[in-house]
Amino acid sequence: MRLLSFRQKRLGQLLAAVLIIGLVLLFPLRSEAYAGPGAGFAVLSSFWTIFVAFLYSFYALVTWPIRQLLRLFRRRKAYGKAQVKRVVIVGFDGMDPVLVNRFMDEGKLPNFTQLRDHGTFRPLRTTFPAISPVAWSTFQTGVNPGKHNIYDFLARDLKNYLPYLSSAQIREPKRHLRIGKYSLPLGKAEIKGLRKGTPFWHWLGKAGVFCSVIRVPATFPPEKFPGVLLSGMCVPDLKGSQGTFCFCTTRASCDKFREGGVRIPVERNGARFHSHIPGPENPLGTGGVLRADFKIHPDTRCNQARIEIDSETFTLKVGEYSEWISVKFKAGMGFTAHGICRFYLKEISPEVEVYVTPVNIDPGRPDLPISHPVTYSIYLAKLFGPYATLGLAEDTWALNEEVLDDQAFLTQCYGNHKDRERMFFDALEKTPQGLCACVFDTTDRVQHMFWRYLDKDHPAVRDVPQGQKPRVIQDLYDRMDNLIGRVMQQIDEQTLLLVISDHGFKSFARCMNLNAWLHQNGYLALKAGKSESGDWFEDVDWSRTRAYTMGLNGLYLNLKGREREGIVEAGAEAGALKQDLRAKLDGLVDPASGAIGITGMFDCDAVYAGPYVDNAPDLIVGYGEGFRASWDSVMGKVTSKIFEDNLKAWSGDHCVDPRLVPGVLFSNRKIAIEKPAIVDVAPTILKLFGLELPSYFDGKPWVVASAAPQPQKVA
Amino acid sequence: MVTPSSMPFRLLSSAVLPASPLLLVLAVSIVIGLLMVVVFRYTSDQKAIGRAKDRLKAHLLAVRLFQDQLPVVLRAYARILRGTARYLRLAFRPFLIAILPITFLIIQLDRYLGWMPLRPAQTFLVEARVEDQAAGNEVELQLPPELVSSAPAVHIPGDKEVVWRLVAQREGQYDIHIAAVGQTVSKQVLVSPGLARISPVRLRGNFWERMFTSGEPALADNSPIQSIAITYPPRVINFAWMEWNWIVLFFVVSLIAGFIFKSVLGIQI
Repeated sequence: MRLLSFRQKRLGQLLAAVLIIGLVLLFPLRSEAYAGPGAGFAVLSSFWTIFVAFLYSFYALVTWPIRQLLRLFRRRKAYGKAQVKRVVIVGFDGMDPVLVNRFMDEGKLPNFTQLRDHGTFRPLRTTFPAISPVAWSTFQTGVNPGKHNIYDFLARDLKNYLPYLSSAQIREPKRHLRIGKYSLPLGKAEIKGLRKGTPFWHWLGKAGVFCSVIRVPATFPPEKFPGVLLSGMCVPDLKGSQGTFCFCTTRASCDKFREGGVRIPVERNGARFHSHIPGPENPLGTGGVLRADFKIHPDTRCNQARIEIDSETFTLKVGEYSEWISVKFKAGMGFTAHGICRFYLKEISPEVEVYVTPVNIDPGRPDLPISHPVTYSIYLAKLFGPYATLGLAEDTWALNEEVLDDQAFLTQCYGNHKDRERMFFDALEKTPQGLCACVFDTTDRVQHMFWRYLDKDHPAVRDVPQGQKPRVIQDLYDRMDNLIGRVMQQIDEQTLLLVISDHGFKSFARCMNLNAWLHQNGYLALKAGKSESGDWFEDVDWSRTRAYTMGLNGLYLNLKGREREGIVEAGAEAGALKQDLRAKLDGLVDPASGAIGITGMFDCDAVYAGPYVDNAPDLIVGYGEGFRASWDSVMGKVTSKIFEDNLKAWSGDHCVDPRLVPGVLFSNRKIAIEKPAIVDVAPTILKLFGLELPSYFDGKPWVVASAAPQPQKVA
Repeated sequence: MVTPSSMPFRLLSSAVLPASPLLLVLAVSIVIGLLMVVVFRYTSDQKAIGRAKDRLKAHLLAVRLFQDQLPVVLRAYARILRGTARYLRLAFRPFLIAILPITFLIIQLDRYLGWMPLRPAQTFLVEARVEDQAAGNEVELQLPPELVSSAPAVHIPGDKEVVWRLVAQREGQYDIHIAAVGQTVSKQVLVSPGLARISPVRLRGNFWERMFTSGEPALADNSPIQSIAITYPPRVINFAWMEWNWIVLFFVVSLIAGFIFKSVLGIQI
């Protein structure tokens, strides 16, 4: 009673204060004005907030009856036959069923174990190929790649054999206005999504089921639907690339990074240094890229440096990351691109070296839409501060190129992961009924970069002394288990929890250059006098080339009438060539190890069906365990060696025979299916909410038990 | 009340006395608006204020984004109220720091801008409040030749007041004297066409009232007269087709100036 009385008194005081402030503002009298502008600022700012809130309330009140009727109608439609109140999907990109099972058998991962023992745990069949944008596109659309048109990160341009991003195209505005040296763009850049098909949350939204979708891959550009969505993998950086880091150094070097980064010189100016971050191309057509200059003031005594950029100044110790820093790239005429990045001070003596993350699109002021509605990314930025928006935000290239060390990379990964956890738990709170789906990709990035510590024979760890191998991957799984534990504490018996991954993982110890094999076996020809090609088929003689490969798992025929310089006739000749290639490549042995480099060659006509099959690779290459397409082969380069060791930190992969790398399916309810597939998720969710399934779906809905006894929650 | 600290202000203000009251108010408001945001910048936790404002905006967006989820919207409203209280708390310290000099400044300016001096031939009242009714019966007004009485003194026993109606003959600064119970006290009367420092009342004791309204030394504690007031006409400033009290105009203009300067200087308010 006393507490109640105290709270009532406090409430009364608060209301009285608000009332007085309101009156002061509405009728500023002589005496009140003595408070001066100081109080005015404070009162006006907060009053404005309350005013807007009440304006919203008024709007909500006026439109309430109509919305209530609509909601009633929709929800009756949506929830009338629903078996669940809410579905929560936690996606762990690349979580491996073999590893998770091993850790559970060792008595670790108590929350996953609870799910396995009281609900469901199964390997989840993945897509052909087992690549994230492909698998997550299938997850969201419920169809095979022949119907959603995503076969790899990259697709090839049939006119010039060059690659382009398979998920989205960003084009400059078509019309420009020339004023002197400037060319002003008239209108916005055109962003076209290339993934076809309809995500299942669109069907749910139309039926009145609210959906919060966070960072599911292949959701850029964000599509309109009645719900909220933050795009994930495939969101570009401010330069339009999939992530270009910047390494600013005083060390003289002509070496260029293979990909993913640029080296920028740091110049001395007395006791301080200056450098710059390259930004996007100048939109005013004056040529060159925009840049943001910054200064470094090293303090060797304290082993730190002060960095100044725009109006922001911050101090970093060596080996420390900054917070997200706003960066403006000014083009003139009032055009400014807004980005955010983090600085990492690598060294200050004897040389000065600063690593800068790729410049992410600023979620608080997005220059490109990265969420639906656009205000959702702003809402998250206001609530939690700036966060990584880049699709592949964990800078694997910087670790691969040894710009970052293991610890710096992990710090970056878990920093991003922490932000995403906050977003996810906020979405969970904001979605008491409906669908809440979030994909965490830390699992994928950390396994890619640290699998070398699980594989004692991996060539990338031969020089690492025994006993110094960190338990990085086990720690990763422990963290994900902890996350699931917290999710389980927030859901009730009427909520279905699904934990899924799109694929598993295997070691990537040996690289295979399939273009080299095609060259050495007479399927691919180089121009006269050449024994190797440059990137993207430079020096390839297309008039004598019958097959080529680019990207991670696709092998293409140089088909007449399809490719610009195609020579293989469609039909019988093409069929025979495919048969020939399959026969020779399936079971191909690595002479150095005796292991099978390719365990399966899959004909696109056998694994795909749908209107976009013509865009698919003609054959999908299923590499054997321990193998993957070489770094050169992915970039359309023909080398002299077919097999070689993978010495990169990127030591684990999943772009192998999809049968070797299924994902995982955990649930808090029993699911009666022996061999679930990722393509089944969409139809299952629609069925759980009592919706009719579209006839074009390839997946089959699972039989999910009604509310099961809640597993015991483990802290 | 005359204080040593007000002397520099009097000297400084004498330089702008010929200026129009409107220009003076606008100039002072803009300068104070600028000073206030600078003071706010250095006396507040800018990061915390930025965070508090961002969170408020987030909760507002939540109301819009999740408008069909009633519990979510209600929680957002509660957070908006909590966030507003937090923001006000963060703004309170700079407000406290700024309020003293601002109050002092306004008091000094009010001497010049609060009332208009009397004009020649203008009728005005002199009101003397006495200690007790007996003293009221013995009160006597002594005037300089430039000021003449236009009506007999009126005694208001209930209020212990004696009121005289006077007329000024010509411009100047005069002293009127009131004698009662063997003591004589004086009061300034200003007759002028321009901007001038005015003290509308002279008081005995009452420190805070003297601080805010009087510009003359206090009457002696044993004086039979409690106060002497002159009914100067209050000043009205015409601006933007409206009649303004100068303090209200100052409040509005300094606020607008502050909001403009904070955007230009990148200061969180």
